[in-house]
Amino acid sequence: MRRDVFQAIADPTRRQIINMTAGQPLNVNAIADSFDVSRQAISLHIKILVECELLKINKQGRERYCEAQLGQLGEVSVWIEQYKQHWKNKLDNLETYLYQLKKERKHGK
Amino acid sequence: MENNTKDREIVISRVLNAPVALVWEVFANPKHIMQWWGPEGFTNTLDVMDLVPGGEWKFTMHGPNGMNFHNRSVFKEIVPLKKMLFEHFNPHIMFTITFAAQGGQTLLNWHMLFDSAEEFEAVAKAHGAVEGANQNVDKLSVYLEGMAAKK
Repeated sequence: MRRDVFQAIADPTRRQIINMTAGQPLNVNAIADSFDVSRQAISLHIKILVECELLKINKQGRERYCEAQLGQLGEVSVWIEQYKQHWKNKLDNLETYLYQLKKERKHGK
Repeated sequence: MENNTKDREIVISRVLNAPVALVWEVFANPKHIMQWWGPEGFTNTLDVMDLVPGGEWKFTMHGPNGMNFHNRSVFKEIVPLKKMLFEHFNPHIMFTITFAAQGGQTLLNWHMLFDSAEEFEAVAKAHGAVEGANQNVDKLSVYLEGMAAKK
């Protein structure tokens, strides 16, 4: 099977694992606890992410920690701008929602 | 606020065309916040929203293919109609949201602080890759090819 960044992000669970581990390394159990699927399923996703070189496993005693390897994603400034825009969009949603709510209340719903 | 946080924060200010009481309500009332907070294309179910210092805010995002993802934050400070501070986990982000009445409008200040510039950058990168997958794979693909070509 193809093993690259696209394979890695093709699945929503793997996308979520990348997001979770981007900030700090997490142990495998902590990752599994965040999903309503079996530990075996999460282990398989982690294995694929490792093979795609987006995750690295570090053993500390009996714990296995997953650390995101995002070097292949390149320049950070593009991503930071995009990430900020994501939050601005959320505030756009808020504005739209406030507008609807005001309108509804005016009509006594 | 410390002035050395520029490389690990997001600051957004917005004047909202609604009175501060209403703006506060759509943040503080779980019924409302779940309507606009969650990511595009997901639905959300609130598990708990205990709006007191130390109280938890947990919700489940329902993604494509029936996947469920859990989200967890802990409130640190709540000043009704003025300020809401909470700590989000995985990734670890401190959110400070302040509200100020401006006549019938509200000035909202939205601040997100990461532990370090490295974490901020990693989260932004991961988010970018993931958003790329959700919305615009072609653009991401071209971008990554460009990066690969430089290697």
